[in-house]
Amino acid sequence: MNIDEIFDFTSFNIDREPHIVLDAGVCVECDSRGCTNSCPARCYTWNEEERKMTFVHDGCLECGTCYVVCQRKAFTRWRYPRGGFGVAYRMT
Amino acid sequence: MSRSFQAIVVGAGPAGSSAALTMARAGLDVALVERGSFPGEKNMFGGVLHRLPSLEKIFPDFWERAPLERHIVKKGVTFMTGDSSFNTTIEAGSFDRPPFNGYTIFRPRFDRWLAEEAVKAGATLITRASVDEVLQSDGQVTGVTILDRKGALKAPVVVAADGVLSFTALKAGLRRPSFDPGQMAVGVKALIDLESDLIDERFGLVREQGFANEFVGCTAGVRGGGFLYTNYDSLSVGLVFHLASLKGSGKTPYDLLNAFLEQPQVAKMVRGGRLQEYSAHLIPEGGYDMIPELYGAGILVAGDAAALCNATGLNLEGINLASQSGVLAGEAAIAAHKARDFSRKGLSIYKSLLDESYVMKDLKSYRRAPQMLHNNRIYNEYPELVCSLMEQLYRIEGTPKENLSKLFLKAARDKVGLKNLAADGFSAWRAL
Repeated sequence: MNIDEIFDFTSFNIDREPHIVLDAGVCVECDSRGCTNSCPARCYTWNEEERKMTFVHDGCLECGTCYVVCQRKAFTRWRYPRGGFGVAYRMT
Repeated sequence: MSRSFQAIVVGAGPAGSSAALTMARAGLDVALVERGSFPGEKNMFGGVLHRLPSLEKIFPDFWERAPLERHIVKKGVTFMTGDSSFNTTIEAGSFDRPPFNGYTIFRPRFDRWLAEEAVKAGATLITRASVDEVLQSDGQVTGVTILDRKGALKAPVVVAADGVLSFTALKAGLRRPSFDPGQMAVGVKALIDLESDLIDERFGLVREQGFANEFVGCTAGVRGGGFLYTNYDSLSVGLVFHLASLKGSGKTPYDLLNAFLEQPQVAKMVRGGRLQEYSAHLIPEGGYDMIPELYGAGILVAGDAAALCNATGLNLEGINLASQSGVLAGEAAIAAHKARDFSRKGLSIYKSLLDESYVMKDLKSYRRAPQMLHNNRIYNEYPELVCSLMEQLYRIEGTPKENLSKLFLKAARDKVGLKNLAADGFSAWRAL
């Protein structure tokens, strides 16, 4: 299983308006960045050279991991997608 | 447009639909609010539904009506290292007869069915509705608003059954604003298709019999475990990690899942299958000590939202507790309507009902289990100890054999340390 191909096997109805908004400036100061390894969908990537956190909500499985592991309260918004949007499980 | 109901249930999962079904059957006008485009669309779990006494009361022929995959006749535990595994299985005749002890299910089918039963009983299902605000007046919850929709849903009692992060409970002031990663686990799962005949032969099953296996030692030292469950013509294979341990390890869930699927003994079980779906979800694993305020003025909290999950190490029970708590929340709301008292005191009957039920009794009995399971040795050293001991017992070297107790002491000293062994034995005995 290649996590980069998540859209090949899990269905999403992507909302253009993100349900999670990250203040990535806060992540620069974070000494753990546990979101980058803990997120099961690899929505968070840290670029050490540019010292920059990137968050993409498209493949979010709405599991809640980042909400719990973030120790810096870096979210300016953390809610579930609007009704009808987001991940759509078929047979899990 | 605003609408008034006699009760609002937030979340059409097992807790919410059980609550809505209970109230609708008693004649209450209930709204069942679900953020997915259908109930179950957002819901994920390992795959085994334990027996649901709460629903068997409502549906005596539950196993005939509910959309189930296979009933579990065989349960196994595997202690695993990178290239060896030691298995124990129990297959019981009684597991093969109704009332069955557990089933594999798909949540998008099962949750949808249960919500539809609530609708048949008279509940109003509102889908694609993500609850935004919890309305309060003088500290009394009076209803909710829906994101991107005008107006409000009003009711004298709201059941928060909106899952593990329960923003409804948060907004009503019933849960703490942040969670402890030490009390949470995350599960990831690969749904792998495999022909039903192949599953029957590979796992020694006939008819619609199912097999549920748990694994320990398969998480590269991260606290957690694995599972493999047989659906009708697919397998649910996944891992569960304690969040604090995963976070600190720097390892990723999908890399660990791939390694698990490639472990030689697991690889044989999934061979020929194709990945159909990948999913993930949090599990409130803190047990009794994690439970938030269960009720307030005009509000009750049920299921994962109330952290009603029992992780004993062998079983991971959630949906059965969710459904039972949902039924009891429904009964509490019915009693409040009869007494016309929706105050905190009026709804406190919910806590009494829960305390008397197996839900709270089990969570209290296993109160120490979550702490016991925080012992890192369980996930690495012990599986290695078991596998190496068994391997040595069976190995023929052409030299005289050592006796069993010597072998055991030597392996235990090597892998775990005798002091640790004694301490861990004591803590496991106390916890279980």
